[in-house]
Amino acid sequence: MGYPIIERRRVLAAAALGREPGVPGPDNPQESGEAGGGPLRAVAGEILDISPHLIIIETPEGVQERLVIAPWATAWHGGDVAPAGLPVGSMVMMRTLREGRVVERIWADTTRITGTIQSIDGRKDLTVELDCGPHRGHRTVVIPYRASGRLQVRHPKFEPGYLFDAIGLRQEGASQALLPATSQPPYPARAVPPPPPAYAGVQQRIAGTATWSDTFDEEERGAAYPMLERSDTGCADAGVSCAGLPYLALGSLLQIRNVCSGRSANVPVVACGCLAGRFCDRCVECDTSPRGRIAELSPYSYVELGGDLVKGCFNAQIGLG
Amino acid sequence: MTRVLESQLPILVVLLGLGTVAKIVTVRSGGEPGALSRLGPAVLMPGRLQAPALLLCAAVEAVLAAGLALGTHPFFRWGTAAFFAMSTYVLLELRRRRPDAGCGCFGEVSSAPVGLRSIARTVVLTGMSVVSVWAPVTGWTAATGMSWLTAAGVLVLAALSPEIEELLDRVRYRAPCEQRPGPAESATLARLRASGPWRAHRHELTSAEPYDSWRELCWRFFAFRNQQQDDVVFAVYLSGRRPAVRMAVVSGEDSGSSLPEYSPVSA
Repeated sequence: MGYPIIERRRVLAAAALGREPGVPGPDNPQESGEAGGGPLRAVAGEILDISPHLIIIETPEGVQERLVIAPWATAWHGGDVAPAGLPVGSMVMMRTLREGRVVERIWADTTRITGTIQSIDGRKDLTVELDCGPHRGHRTVVIPYRASGRLQVRHPKFEPGYLFDAIGLRQEGASQALLPATSQPPYPARAVPPPPPAYAGVQQRIAGTATWSDTFDEEERGAAYPMLERSDTGCADAGVSCAGLPYLALGSLLQIRNVCSGRSANVPVVACGCLAGRFCDRCVECDTSPRGRIAELSPYSYVELGGDLVKGCFNAQIGLG
Repeated sequence: MTRVLESQLPILVVLLGLGTVAKIVTVRSGGEPGALSRLGPAVLMPGRLQAPALLLCAAVEAVLAAGLALGTHPFFRWGTAAFFAMSTYVLLELRRRRPDAGCGCFGEVSSAPVGLRSIARTVVLTGMSVVSVWAPVTGWTAATGMSWLTAAGVLVLAALSPEIEELLDRVRYRAPCEQRPGPAESATLARLRASGPWRAHRHELTSAEPYDSWRELCWRFFAFRNQQQDDVVFAVYLSGRRPAVRMAVVSGEDSGSSLPEYSPVSA
């Protein structure tokens, strides 16, 4: 089943039910800038040259772009650094203003490591093997000794079978976990608690936490959604969530609102979020969200909704776009 | 007097049978692994033995039910009495050691924490099975000549069963259709083929098998092609015995602001 068919589902479903098909992208661009600063755009690429005021990158299409670094801009590369201190050659994701010309925040070589712990080896630097779900395979990450204490405080069950979620750096082909992205759920990955009892009557908006993952295609704007029918997706782990989500399909349009920044966008469901559904955690980015991950966004969508990659989540509401 | 002795046999057979079926269904449907860890005697077992323990329990119940229904051998009669006496002890132990766990007597329907009513029920069942030990006829024969004593037994057990309230609550407060796992795709396709819109448009389609099918909220969609290579999409509501069916024809080049060619119709 190819992408054209999945994208067409939205048009066909809208025609059959007599509703508007909806358009992916930010909602009401004029209003979405209520947090200040107008619409955001995510730009990614490899640094060719950087100075305190200017960054030159090569985008994934191979185009060189010159962007102005705002005076208030900050950068992250394993820790907060000055933008000019970023190494040439690193892959950056940037939050930009003014049609993608002015850089406000830079994340360099940032990766997110989410999965179920398979094995842990090592004495000082730990090597952790993770199962990242049926679509993403296995991944091996290194936890340097200096970060292991900080990670284990938020991951008290540091043993096989439990979930792991951290943010780190991608360096020389290997991933280093540096910061915990959440408080580890206390249950084993295969024992997700049931959603709270739901009563008849459709909820218009569902609240929870929205996270990001770097396992999407480059420049893809989309989300992985946990509540998909197992028979439609061929994913035996789908359809699990503790947030009381409605069933949707690949190709459905989700309206996601970042409660913290006030921005909202229509994001298509492009992947099965079977791993996100296993996390029954909260986001405390701007308030305490209800439990459960409602969407796992691609980095582009996440940044354009005003999320900070290093914080790992934002409080979100979803509706059907 | 003999009518008294055999009066409770049919109840025991039916309850043991129900228990077997409910336990097997619970293990088969499984839900999430870990769901069993909140149920029944299985909770007292280590994780990997929980499903086998529940199945073993179901097998014992099935054997006892068959023995009571078809024979008069004292082994099954005393076995049933011993089974319920042991269940009483297990429930007491469960209540003491895991007050949060359900009894699992009827699979996951019995997920409410073990209360005095569940324990009283196994005591009553033990009493019934002891009375039935000396019944002269098989359970099958007893079922053909039921008396008011049987009805009284059913009433007592119904009053002691928290599962009945649980089932009523589930019917009254069902999760909305959007959040329930839907029926199988083939079952929905069969409903579509029994509907009026399908019969009206069947002859236009190039193939009776959909090229794409997906579920969104409470609708399942089936996409077909017609002879002009346009997309014909049917939407079937997933709830109800004669569900609403809608259809639209979308031209092949259309990729956005489409208007349905036919007005929505329902079956």
